[in-house]
Amino acid sequence: MNRSSNSEGAKAEQIIFEFFAKTLHIILESRTPFMSSRNFSSSGEQMICSPSSSSSSSSSVRPRDKWFNLALRECPAALESFDIGRRSTLEPLVVDVVLVARAFDQMNSPGGRELIRNFSGKEYNSDQDDCETKNEQIIERWLVQYDNRKVRERRSSSSNNNKLQVMYKKATLLLRSLFVMVRLLPAYKIFRELNSSGQIFKFKLVPKVPTIVEPFTRIEEAEMQKFAFTPVDTICGRLCMSVLYRSLSDVSCSQQSAPVSPTFITDYVGSPLADPLKSFPSLPLSYGSPPLMSFQRRHSWSFDRYKASPPSVSCSPSPTRSDSQALVTNPCSRRLPPHPCQDFTPPCSPSAHAQAFPRSITRTESAPVRIPAPTFESKQNVVVPPSSHLKLSRHASLKPVRNTGPVESGAALEKMHIYGREDFRRNSGVKLSSNSSPRISFSRSSSRSYQDGFDDTDFPCPFDVEYDEITDSSSSRPGSFEQRGDAHEPPPLESSGSYPKKSQDAAVGALVNMLKKAPPLRQDVSESSIPELCWKNNKNKPGGGQEIATASMTASGIALAAKTTADALEELRSYKEMKNVLLSESTKDSSPFAVSES
Amino acid sequence: MNCEVCNLKELEVESFEIREVLRCVLHTIVFHRALGLIRPKDIDLELFDITYVQCGEIEVEKKIDDKIEQFITWIGKHPNKKSQICLTFYEVKTKQPSWFTNKIERLYWEQWNINLSAFQPPTKPPVGKSHHSKLVMDHPGEESEDISSRRTLLEQSLQEVLFQIIKFVNEKKDHVPPINDGVIYCPFEITFPSSSDSTFGMDMLKRMLHSGGHPSMLS
Repeated sequence: MNRSSNSEGAKAEQIIFEFFAKTLHIILESRTPFMSSRNFSSSGEQMICSPSSSSSSSSSVRPRDKWFNLALRECPAALESFDIGRRSTLEPLVVDVVLVARAFDQMNSPGGRELIRNFSGKEYNSDQDDCETKNEQIIERWLVQYDNRKVRERRSSSSNNNKLQVMYKKATLLLRSLFVMVRLLPAYKIFRELNSSGQIFKFKLVPKVPTIVEPFTRIEEAEMQKFAFTPVDTICGRLCMSVLYRSLSDVSCSQQSAPVSPTFITDYVGSPLADPLKSFPSLPLSYGSPPLMSFQRRHSWSFDRYKASPPSVSCSPSPTRSDSQALVTNPCSRRLPPHPCQDFTPPCSPSAHAQAFPRSITRTESAPVRIPAPTFESKQNVVVPPSSHLKLSRHASLKPVRNTGPVESGAALEKMHIYGREDFRRNSGVKLSSNSSPRISFSRSSSRSYQDGFDDTDFPCPFDVEYDEITDSSSSRPGSFEQRGDAHEPPPLESSGSYPKKSQDAAVGALVNMLKKAPPLRQDVSESSIPELCWKNNKNKPGGGQEIATASMTASGIALAAKTTADALEELRSYKEMKNVLLSESTKDSSPFAVSES
Repeated sequence: MNCEVCNLKELEVESFEIREVLRCVLHTIVFHRALGLIRPKDIDLELFDITYVQCGEIEVEKKIDDKIEQFITWIGKHPNKKSQICLTFYEVKTKQPSWFTNKIERLYWEQWNINLSAFQPPTKPPVGKSHHSKLVMDHPGEESEDISSRRTLLEQSLQEVLFQIIKFVNEKKDHVPPINDGVIYCPFEITFPSSSDSTFGMDMLKRMLHSGGHPSMLS
């Protein structure tokens, strides 16, 4: 009897021991992101802080799957870290799941920064990772322990053997629950995100089995939620399992904001990366640079949208996506009275705004993907400069473009991250201007594209410069656009959007349309119609051309703008010379009046 | 030993969400009752940010899918109706003849009531995955917001239901039959009012009769 009870005890102990091992395996398997350089897992070998490196257990991986009838994926970290030889079943097992963000990463990632801010409960530096400081936060703490206090007093009629069976069955059930539970907790979403997406994250999930457990403070514990599994009675005690976990509802948002944006960018419909060979014959040759191609697609989206909902119709965007909506469709945003950026004053600072709506930006990224681009291409007028109402998307395309066309996406994505803030600022800055511009009264294709075209031709410029310019123009525009709209001539605007601060008056739009429809004046010189317009304009008023060139130099489209105006002037001069020569040759005796008349 | 009954929180689902919601709930329950050697399979829901677990048995999957399809067909004919899907686990006993002279007897030991309030969307249902509906362009205006917020609510409710399952499984363990070698999962059946409208009540009656006579399994 005594011997049998001993053997029963040994069996019970083994069950308990295996229960510990299986529990650890389940937790680690669902919290250890796959070893990948993407996940900053260079310190992956440090993930499990077991004092011993004994791998005595690793040889019994498969047989262990039979325990509790639960075959798990191999998780070497779990098994190697679990020092079976040394561990006593009486020792509680604690598994901390730590969210780690590097200080370095936070610098470049608004999402990462937000993440840490949300986890501000307990931030501390750890020198674990060599030179870099880390912000760490325990988001889950699992506690498994065998409580051998005198439960045995509660004697039942059943035999020990039966008890063992019951205990085993209940432990099996408990592990089933655990298996489901670990996938329901918020940390699993992070784990899944880290694993499934091929994105670069600024944080990682690190499960640890600390030897010395640092107890939570009361505040910390109050912040966390607890779930205690119903203990499983054993022969001489009971198995207890509980988890303290943080609710990551807000974190899950922020953790998506940073990583998600590049995903949308890489393969959006109009991306040069997605469709690098796509050409836009309608674009003038001299402006057929990759950036403009992608911009034109943006424009086509907005155009489509514009077509679908006429300017006079309010799109009534919902509150949560009002920003993205505003970015997507300017006419809509313009008609939104409660829009946070309806006022055109500087207080609506672009950067602040951008930080306040990181998600909307992400959505903005996603939205254009849904809009079919091709329909517009046929409709697009030749002289319509490429434009974009979707600022982030524009930048998304801008980045690859800056690397001359279909470059490797990785570099582009990195830049997206690096310039994330600038994007935000530009975003809102542009939105301001779009709100202030009376583009609704414009004819569709051309007038709406002016302003966007200006912003889009900015690839040679630093972001900050452009941002400042945009902000300035947008803030000053409301008061000044009327006069300016009348003061400036439309033709230079047509010239690929080289005019950044152009006011948009209906008259201008009408004039542009008229000019667009007008037959080309000099088809023999170039296929591009834009220089023609410039030339024509400058012929009428060369001084205006100069002024425009100056203006455009300060704005985003320096290179193209300067080129355009310079070309126009050059052509003007050359034509004048040609004309003079011809006239002088043909009518050598003619008076100077003849020259001026022609 | 009683037949334990668990009434799950009602889920308000649109017709196109039924399949996924039911799969999630049913598989989660069955997973807890698949006590044989299993190789669990994680399934990420498409409509919701939820991962559930299947026991990895093809027959289970097929059985559940078939029943769900039947239910969806039925719900198509009875829209905007509350309905209850019953998942019951039983043991098969070849027993001495009873009044019903069946030699094979089903002894129900657990019943899960999944409550659904299915409704047809007033407008055309969104196509595809959830994140599509979150896109700005898909559902302009308030409609999109409604869909999004409703989806979020349903996701929370579904999560609550899954927690409810876990809690129930944890609290009630004694009635579960012992693990039998070679038996991967406990036999179960899925019924809903329509599966046979006339016999549904009879089934329930039978279950009630049997629930009192559950064989003692343990302790």
